Amino acid sequence: MLSNIGNTLLFLNILLGISLIYFLFQDLGNKGKLISKNIYHICLFQSTLIIICFFTLIAAFVVSDFSIITVYQNSHSLKPFFYKISGTWGNHEGSLLLWAIILTIFSYFFLLYSKSHLRDYRIYSLIVQNILILGFLFFLLFNSNPFSVILPVPQEGLGLNPILQDPALAIHPPLLYIGFVGSSIYFSAAISSLLINYDGRLFAKSIKNWVLISWSFQTLGILAGSIWAYYELGWGGFWFWDPVENASLLPWFAMTALLHSLMVLEKRNLFYFWVIILCLLTFILSVTGTFLVRSGILNSVHTFANDPSRGLYILVFLSLMIFASVILLFNKFKKSNYNLNPNSKETFILVNNWFMIFYLITVLLGTIYPIFTEVLTDYKVSVGPPFYNSVIIPIVILFLFFMSLGPQTQWIKNNSYNLNLMIKILIASILINFAIIFLFKSYSLISNFIIISALFLIIYSLRDLYNLFKKKKIDASRIVSHFAFGALVLFIGLNHNFSLEKDFNLKKGEKREFENYSVKFNNLQLEEFKNYKAVIGEFEINNSQNNLSRTLYPEIRIYQSPSTITYEASIRSGLLKDYYITMSNIDRSDYYNIKFQKKPFMIWIWISVIFISLGGFLRLFKNAKKNY
Amino acid sequence: MKLKIIIYLILLNFNIVNAETNSIDSNNIFKNLRCLICQGQSVADSNSEFAQTIKLVVKDQIKNGKSESEIYDFLVEKYGEWIVYKPPFNKVNLLLWLLPYLAFVSGGVIIFLLFKKRFNN
Repeated sequence: MLSNIGNTLLFLNILLGISLIYFLFQDLGNKGKLISKNIYHICLFQSTLIIICFFTLIAAFVVSDFSIITVYQNSHSLKPFFYKISGTWGNHEGSLLLWAIILTIFSYFFLLYSKSHLRDYRIYSLIVQNILILGFLFFLLFNSNPFSVILPVPQEGLGLNPILQDPALAIHPPLLYIGFVGSSIYFSAAISSLLINYDGRLFAKSIKNWVLISWSFQTLGILAGSIWAYYELGWGGFWFWDPVENASLLPWFAMTALLHSLMVLEKRNLFYFWVIILCLLTFILSVTGTFLVRSGILNSVHTFANDPSRGLYILVFLSLMIFASVILLFNKFKKSNYNLNPNSKETFILVNNWFMIFYLITVLLGTIYPIFTEVLTDYKVSVGPPFYNSVIIPIVILFLFFMSLGPQTQWIKNNSYNLNLMIKILIASILINFAIIFLFKSYSLISNFIIISALFLIIYSLRDLYNLFKKKKIDASRIVSHFAFGALVLFIGLNHNFSLEKDFNLKKGEKREFENYSVKFNNLQLEEFKNYKAVIGEFEINNSQNNLSRTLYPEIRIYQSPSTITYEASIRSGLLKDYYITMSNIDRSDYYNIKFQKKPFMIWIWISVIFISLGGFLRLFKNAKKNY
Repeated sequence: MKLKIIIYLILLNFNIVNAETNSIDSNNIFKNLRCLICQGQSVADSNSEFAQTIKLVVKDQIKNGKSESEIYDFLVEKYGEWIVYKPPFNKVNLLLWLLPYLAFVSGGVIIFLLFKKRFNN
């Protein structure tokens, strides 16, 4: 029954999409200044229907309607209520439906919030947006239908992969998708702007809030995924340069570049075509990301979600999009004169874009290179953390210095640099770095440079903040983001250099000592839970230096549906450091393999990222206040 | 004067770095090795038997006084390049290692040309 409702709604949405495109083209010929009311109604109707469609799928998950394949494959009647709901978008079909919903709702919001713009510009944007919506709806209905039925109806579902039953991962896809799909709006707007030769400044004004929304949510989405990886995958890291992680980072680089160059377009009406290229690129990378994740073309921890035929469809969709964009761009490209002063804010923003594109190319290359070597030379290579670290980190040092100085320069032509101040701050950073080494521990040369440059950015931003308070201005959004980025690099640097990792085998009752820590295996017990059994260990960690004692309970969980074993880390988070223990059984032995980690400043890494995205939200609120 | 202070401080940093003893960190090596039978996990993170074996092999090699790069070479010869997360610099991986820098340099050149054009105008 629910399946029929869902399919009908999907089908109605396709009809609505087609009729909307038809009415939009009709409306182009009309003389009036306003878009006809009909179009508003259809858009509203379209959004309502797709939301109902999504709720139908949620309902199917909640009542465990196993006649629907998606529910059968990804749910189980014993699963906790919360994960039944989050299971809706924890799978391929449901997550694509989520894509389509956000696409549709954003399309309606764009219509509502672009009233001050040229009518034809709005209409063309909506037409492109609705072509995208149709593309996804067709994909949903004919390739990945979330409402397909299975006969005979199974008694019980297969259950959601236990590592996906997690609060951070429940919010990860929606956050990330707002970022991914938000970029569709400026893709459509860019194409529309090219078609009607829209004014650069107005174009920038119309999309800047969309860029901020997608960028801020994308940042949070990446964070949620990273936190999940930290405590769920059991290796104590938060970024592995895994292809799927990279897929979420690639659009982020493009968005960040766009976020900055858009300011130049708005203020100085420069870089119009470059901004257009970035708009197109961001959405293309978002779809590429989906393609990489969903096709299973890459070997990754996320390969629980793949099927080649899906990949083919997205690949065709992607090629069409790229093809259309490139053709249009070539037809409309006009040479423009860049009147740039090397010493100006515009230049620094160009430099930002230069670095962002470098990061983007490096990560993109590292992600897809193994595919090419395997196809072309039958040669399997792994591109992992050491590659990215050795290529990117040295460049980040330079980047942080530019990032400190850039915001202070003036538009058009900068008058003077406060060289004195720069040297003072540089000396302060070096001294602090020196103090860290002197008081705690020395680290490699490159780490020295990273920490010095991060401190430089932090101190510089703090000084900017101080000046801002003196002038009683309230726009701190840029400073918050830049400061938090400096803090992020600093804490990652410290975390990397001051982590302690020990890997050893213990039997119940035994104790292991190293440095000033001791780890004691106190107890082991078996407990039964609603949908799994768990072997729970009790470990006591003692720090002889400050007589601190902590008890941690890592688990080995045995799930019935689907039958899986997971290793749950036990983490004690603190302001200064996290303690992290995982345990795993060793076959034919009483011993357990214990991984103990001390991870300093973990919590500050998360907080830094939250503040980076907070900067985006602050700017968004400020813009909203100015406009209404 | 200030420049001298900066140079002095940087040199001081150098000295500290050089004073560090160069012992091989086995954990670091494990992190740079792929667990061949797992899905996207390094040897350090995996609980599999394969990972345990590789750990023993690496520890053995360190004991025998092999350097870090000698250990990687040994493993690559045995299991292929798939096992190391840092692809070796050779004919196949040439583009992988060079393109990022090429992109970086050409980005700089493009920005430089933009300014040059302006001055010529």
